Amino acid sequence: MITVIVIALALCAVVLFYMAVRSRRKQAVQSLRQVDLTAFHTLLDRDDELFLQRKLPRSKFVGLKRHRIRVTVRYVARIASNASAVLHASEAARLSPMPEVASTAAQVMDLAAQIRLQCLLALFKLSLEYAMPSLQLTPAMLVPKYQTLRENVRRLGDLQTQNSIPLANAI
Amino acid sequence: MFPGLESGILVKKEMTLPYLIRDLGLAGLTLQGLLTFVLLARGSSRRFPFFSAYVFLSFVAGIVGYSLQKRPIAYFYSYWFGEALGIALGLLVVYEIFRHLFTVHGALLRLATVTFKIALGVLLLAGLIVFFQSPSHTSSLAKAILAVEQATRIIEVGLLMILFICSAAFGLHWKQAEFGIALGLGFFVTLELLAVTLHHLVGLHGAELLNVMRIVALDCSLVIWLGYLLTPERATATLDVPKAQLEQWNQAVMELINR
Repeated sequence: MITVIVIALALCAVVLFYMAVRSRRKQAVQSLRQVDLTAFHTLLDRDDELFLQRKLPRSKFVGLKRHRIRVTVRYVARIASNASAVLHASEAARLSPMPEVASTAAQVMDLAAQIRLQCLLALFKLSLEYAMPSLQLTPAMLVPKYQTLRENVRRLGDLQTQNSIPLANAI
Repeated sequence: MFPGLESGILVKKEMTLPYLIRDLGLAGLTLQGLLTFVLLARGSSRRFPFFSAYVFLSFVAGIVGYSLQKRPIAYFYSYWFGEALGIALGLLVVYEIFRHLFTVHGALLRLATVTFKIALGVLLLAGLIVFFQSPSHTSSLAKAILAVEQATRIIEVGLLMILFICSAAFGLHWKQAEFGIALGLGFFVTLELLAVTLHHLVGLHGAELLNVMRIVALDCSLVIWLGYLLTPERATATLDVPKAQLEQWNQAVMELINR
């Protein structure tokens, strides 16, 4: 029995390493993708959900909520991907000889990392809601953090002479 | 039908495997020498002290192993001493990669450290269970060593898996050298784990084939390490978006903030 488990662990490891290599290749061509925050906000609106719950039969509401969660997950994944790209793009600036640039880059990286964590938390909550549609978990505080990140990235762009605007506005 | 020919083929087959093992071993030693040179020439030994120590030790252990081939007892002890040191350094290499990957991310470091500590605790427990469940660990020194090796390889493979999973979950970008070191080590220790696990299930001939697999795994890892250390880091792509979309985005953000 233990032999089988160990062999399974080794095979899982091989698959994981293969996926890591593939994902690294994909990361090389990764780009920022915009997030339609109005749509995202509508998806997270709990009043809307309560209204639908009152008006629709349970089976229809469950189907609709699951569909809504699937779409929300795609938005969260996009925010997570953007945060990851910002994390990567700010690494070089963190080593800048200009102290202000370095400290702003460090702040940006910190925020981007926090957003990644919040995305994980949001995905976990959404999975729970998908499994149990009657649940109404508080959505993660992604939007304010994302806005702060955007402002900090803009500040970092202003501090650096080259590549100032595109990254700040793309997220 | 042709007994002479048949026995000739048999002799040839029996002779091929040891020669193959010797040739693969020599290729490995050459690659280890080359990797040692690359690490020293590029100054990577200062950046990755544990990995460099791991490579130097493997190189020295390989040379000592070859020089002691005709003295079985000395070879036995030197081989297992090298293996034990290699496993300990392998774990330190995992720690080194972890430090390189997470130290710059203050917000993630704490969570990653806690995750790693929990994973280490679970893997230690799993290693102990595997060691004590192994029926042969009390029958001889060699079997006990194999059981210890299996348990520690489980910890090593598990930690490397956690490292890859955490970096994917947190969306971290690996640097070329760090990724190469982790990948090469992961490939090698996974095949070592398989070889140690399957060792008691196969016969003498199977054990020889497993030996070939282990040497090939080490050679492949050396090629991976050399490849990733010698390939230059890819430049970050410039990121840009159309202006019209930016305005739409700004408006959406402002609306949301003002609500």
